[in-house]
Parts: sequence; structure tokens; C-alpha cells
Amino acid sequence: MVKKYTSMAYANADELIFGQSKFPVKAGLGLEIGAGYTTPEINYAPRPGAGVSKEKLIKEYERITTDVMSRMVQIGAPSIVLETEHVQQMSNNPEWGGAVAHAQKTIMEEYHDEYGIKCALRHTIGDIRETRDYLDLRGDKYSTFMEAFEEAANNGADMLAVESMGGKEIFDYSILRNDTAGILFGIGVLGSMDMEMVWKDISDVAKKTGTVSSGDTDCAQANTAMFIAGGLLDKNLAHTTAIVARAISAARSLCAYEAGAVGPGKDCGYENSIIKAIAGVPIAQEGKTSTCAHSDLMGNIVMQCCDLWSNESVEYHGEFGGTTVQCWSETLAYDCSMMNVALKTGKAKDLRDILVLSDKYRDPQGYVIAYDNAYRVAQAIAKDGENNYLRAKNAAIECCNIIEEGTNSGKLRLTRFETNALAKVKADLEALTDDADQFMSDNLTKFKQEVAVFRPENYGL
Amino acid sequence: MLDLKLEDIDGILVRYNVALEKEMTPDEAAEELYPKDDLIYPVAKAIYEGEEDDVVDALQAAIDAGKKPIDLIDDALMVGMGVVTQLYDDGIIFLPNVMMSADAMLAGIEFCKSQTTEVPEPKGKVVCHVAEGDVHDIGKNIVAALLRANGYEVIDLGRDVPVDEVIAAVEKEKPIMLTGTALMTTTMYAFKEVNDKLLEKGIKLPFACGGGAVNQDFVSQYELGVYGEEAADAPKIADAIVAGTKDITALREEFHKH
Repeated sequence: MVKKYTSMAYANADELIFGQSKFPVKAGLGLEIGAGYTTPEINYAPRPGAGVSKEKLIKEYERITTDVMSRMVQIGAPSIVLETEHVQQMSNNPEWGGAVAHAQKTIMEEYHDEYGIKCALRHTIGDIRETRDYLDLRGDKYSTFMEAFEEAANNGADMLAVESMGGKEIFDYSILRNDTAGILFGIGVLGSMDMEMVWKDISDVAKKTGTVSSGDTDCAQANTAMFIAGGLLDKNLAHTTAIVARAISAARSLCAYEAGAVGPGKDCGYENSIIKAIAGVPIAQEGKTSTCAHSDLMGNIVMQCCDLWSNESVEYHGEFGGTTVQCWSETLAYDCSMMNVALKTGKAKDLRDILVLSDKYRDPQGYVIAYDNAYRVAQAIAKDGENNYLRAKNAAIECCNIIEEGTNSGKLRLTRFETNALAKVKADLEALTDDADQFMSDNLTKFKQEVAVFRPENYGL
Repeated sequence: MLDLKLEDIDGILVRYNVALEKEMTPDEAAEELYPKDDLIYPVAKAIYEGEEDDVVDALQAAIDAGKKPIDLIDDALMVGMGVVTQLYDDGIIFLPNVMMSADAMLAGIEFCKSQTTEVPEPKGKVVCHVAEGDVHDIGKNIVAALLRANGYEVIDLGRDVPVDEVIAAVEKEKPIMLTGTALMTTTMYAFKEVNDKLLEKGIKLPFACGGGAVNQDFVSQYELGVYGEEAADAPKIADAIVAGTKDITALREEFHKH
């Protein structure tokens, strides 16, 4: 059994601020995350074709690492985190991932020794627990999956992370059919169950290897919803539905910390402000500096209480200003410099609020993750923190209430589609049972019939 | 916390979607598009509403009144789905509505097929797959649903499909188009391999690619590639091919937006 959060780390929303967390985390070479300053976290993808051989891949990551470290020194950045999100070749061949970590860390150590730059290496293992036809969460690939963490940790990675996929088969089916119960079941119930198992094991690896068990995001589900929802003129998914999925994802991603992770949570977890309010862990976030990877309508607001500031991911290639990793890490570093000046001069809350207000009314997604509202969602989760289902449902209902209040104030304006979608989601949620066992039973029956690739044994059911 | 005054928000952002919203509700817009025939109207309406049981009931009523099941596929089901796709293209309804309508239409097609020995004629055949090494298939599922909703027969090879399996399926099925989706830069490289092997065998068919990290520049690098920015582009590319535009350059001119 894991210990569930039933109270808040922060006494009130106003305490949430960038660069400071209740429980800072030491990592890598001289770095402390959430200890009074923010740090850029650069993320990258190798060029197409770089994965054809281990040697080619290592060479690619050596170039990336050297480029980033040299640019950080050139511009006087005091700290940097590199995040290597494994390509499938690395996670499927743990020895490849270890070799890449070793090559990267060797270069980082040289820069740390020479210049004293604080730095750490995060390796995010790919969730490879799939066959061609279905998720295989507790199947044959699990040992390879765990081995990939251990290899990376033993060879230089300082922080371990993953974007796990539990519940995605139900979520993918449900989000395209406006099935609120299915979204809740996929993320809040099945996703949470899988997280508890995975993160207990990852945290054991971290303890054994002296590394940091850093966290998960609901990229596979809540970010899929956000991505499908798109911009203001896209008609693929109501943004109100997308933010309900996000609120549920906070209840789910919190499970990593309950199973032993200590942070920093990963950049693409837009649910992280909610989690920080409950768990007090440092978090990474991405926003305006991740437009190289996607558009999200929340460019500034997500910076509100970040401890690492990330670019999400950029393909490695040349730009006028250098390679992409140099350009984006430089931009991240200047953003962090601005936040750190605000912290040093006592202006941090002013800057935070300006960042928040520049996006808070742009979209219901930004409105709910604004720190005052995020705190309310967090309270709804902690209220029934012992029960994965109820806390996810609470989060979703509180999210609906917050949006309704926003529209009633006249400041948050929604289209009729978004308003109707919100009303449907809220009605669906309020019609659901409070009995977790009943919810589980109802949905198991339903989705075993409707989703051919759903395998209850993946979740020990 | 600091807050903006209500009157100051417009100077910070514009919710263009609110400003541009159509006057009519989706139901009112659909009502204007439904066919007037008393037997076809309930089928079309049930498809728009995504109610599978109502689709089957309406089809049964039409058959009881003398309509041929095979004719109802084109004359009722496709007409109803046409209402849905037009409303989606016009920005009046959302993708989940289309997906639910597509499910209802496919249930209707199965029902019609069960009521006759005649075989329905699709507009054309399309082979869909997710790149080798990539297991993210939500994009491919949307593409397949939209193609089916537009009257195409879809051979869905699934996800993480080996290059040789794609080639074999194209040789066997002889589709009008192949689609490929991928999320990651490292897996989308398989598209080029598919392209090269098709060309080695002398097969020149449009290969519509899209998804996650896939971009127009990458797809333009291989001879058969046509980039689809959105899933909804797939049936439009297929329609263009059926209408006679089989030349890759011409398709690129029509569908490459950047």
C-alpha cells in the first residue's frame, strides 16, 4: 500500500511561486531544484535516422550535450538540466540508454569541473509496455522497462522519469466519443492503478542507485486531449472537456509521489501546479518556450510556479542562431534569469501574477490551472485522497464549478459548444455513483464489451 | 492576487471562436441539411445524433416500406453522414460527434449488408497504418473513421507496422491511397523506407502522411509523400484522387499549405 495525500503542502494558493518548493530536491552536480531559483531544462529529439545504430545515436547525443553545455557557459547561465526522452530504440535496448547516459554525463562532468556550472541529467524512459495490438502493462516487457531505468541510473542519469500509458486504451476510445465516465475510468482509475505499481518500482531503482525518482505526467491522456482540442478555431474537441481530463490527470499523476517519487515533476504535466499544491514537490513546466513542439494556449501561465522551465522537445538541427538545442536552451535560460531576478528583488509574486493574467482568461484550460483555481482542484483531490476514483471525480466536478464561476463573472468567455460540452460533462459526473467498487464494476463490464484491446489483467483485475 | 478588470480583457486577448460563432445551433443547422424524404430523414437524423439503434430502426422501417437495403447505404446512410461531415467542415460540430456518427453509420451498413446478398460498392479502397516502431494510433483511428464515414473501404493495418507488411498490403489490396501516421521523428523515417520500396516495385500511389512530429518538409522529401496537416485532410485527398488527381505534384499543390 502507498501512503495517499489527504492534506495540502501549501496553506494557501498565494504561497505557490516559481523557483521555490516545500521540498527541494538535490540532483546531479551541485544542483538543487525548488530551492529558491529556477533552472532551464532543455529537451531534444535526435534527427530522423539517428536511431539506426547505437554508435550513431550516442554520437548524436554527444553533439547535443556539448552544444547545450557550451552555450550555457557562453551566456553565463548558472545551471542547466538536460532531459533525454528515450527513443524507443533506447528503452527497448537498455544498454543503449545506459551508453547514451554515460556519454552525456561524461561531457556534463567536464563542464562542471571546468566552469562549476550546476547541472543534472534526466532520463525519461519510453513506456514500451505495448505489443502491436494492445497495452501489455504487466506482461513480458515490464522487466525490460525496469531494466532501462536501472541502466540509465547506473550510467549517469541523475533523475528518472516516464510518461506512463496506463488507461490509454480506454481513454483514446472515450475521448473521441465524449464518454465522461470512460475518461474518468481511463485516467483516474486505471491510470492511477498502473502508476502506483510502476512508481513503486522506479522509486526502488532510484533508492538503489542513489538517483532521483522524479515523476510522471499524463501526457498519454490529458495532453492528447489538449492536443486534439487545439486552438481557438479548431473543432476537434471542446476545450472544456480537455480541461476536465486535465483536472482528473492531477489525481492520477499524484500517484507517483505517493509511491515514492520526490520530483521534479515533468515538463509536459500541465497538472503539475495542482500537484505542487498538494505534495510540495518541485515541478518542471513548459509553455511559450515549447512552441517548437506544440501550441497550447497557456504560454505564460504555466510558468507561475515552475522550478524547472522546459522547451518540451525540439528536433536537433541547425538554425541561424546555432543548433536548435543551443537556441532553445538560451531562451529558457533568459526566462529563468528573469524569474530569478524577480525572486531576488522581492517582485516574484508580481511577475507570477502578470504571467498568470496574460493567459488566465484566454481559455478554460488556462483558467483552471491558474494557481488560485489549481489550488481549489488540489483541495478537492486531497479531500478524498485515499480513494483514487472519488478524488478524480472530485477534481473533475470542481473543475466544472470553477469554469462556471468564471463564465458567470463575464471574464471567461466560452462558445456555445464549450458551454454545452461543459454542461454535459458536469451532468455526466453528477450522475455517477460515489461507490468506487460499483464504478469499477460498471465500467469493466462496459469496456470489456466495447473496447476490443482492453485487457483487465493489465491492471491486476 | 492581481486581476484584470472586465473591460481590460479584450486588450489582452480575443476569443475569436466566440466572436465568430455561428448563429444557428448545430441541431438547427442539421435540420436544414436533412433530406426531405420521409423514409430517409429518420436515418439521416439518427446518424447525426449518433444513435445506432435508431439508425437500424429507421433502416428497417425503410426496408419494410419497400426500399432496397443495398440502395439505402448510398441513399440514406451516406446522405446522413454527408450532413455530419459538412457540419464538421463548416466548424459547426466537433470531432466526437463525427466519430459517434461514424460508429452509427457503420452499424447501419452492417445491418443493410445483413439484409441482402448484394455487395456494396465503396468509393475506393485505402490502406492505413502507423509507422513501424510507433504504437500511437489515435491519429490513425481518426483518419480511418473519417475515411469510412466518407464512403471509403479502409484496410487498417494497425500500429507499429513493419515496412514489408505495408508493401505487401499495398500489393494485395491495390488501394487508391496509402496513409501513414507517426508521433515521433525517429519512427516517421519508416515512411521513406515504405516510399523507396514501393518505387522499387514500380508502385506509384499517393502516400498521405501526418501526425505528431511529421511535417510537410519531411514528407516532401520522398517522391510519393503528400502531407496531411489534419486527419480531416485524408478523405479530401482521397476524394481528389477519385476525382482524377493522381499526380503527386498536383496533390501537393492542393494540400500542402506551407
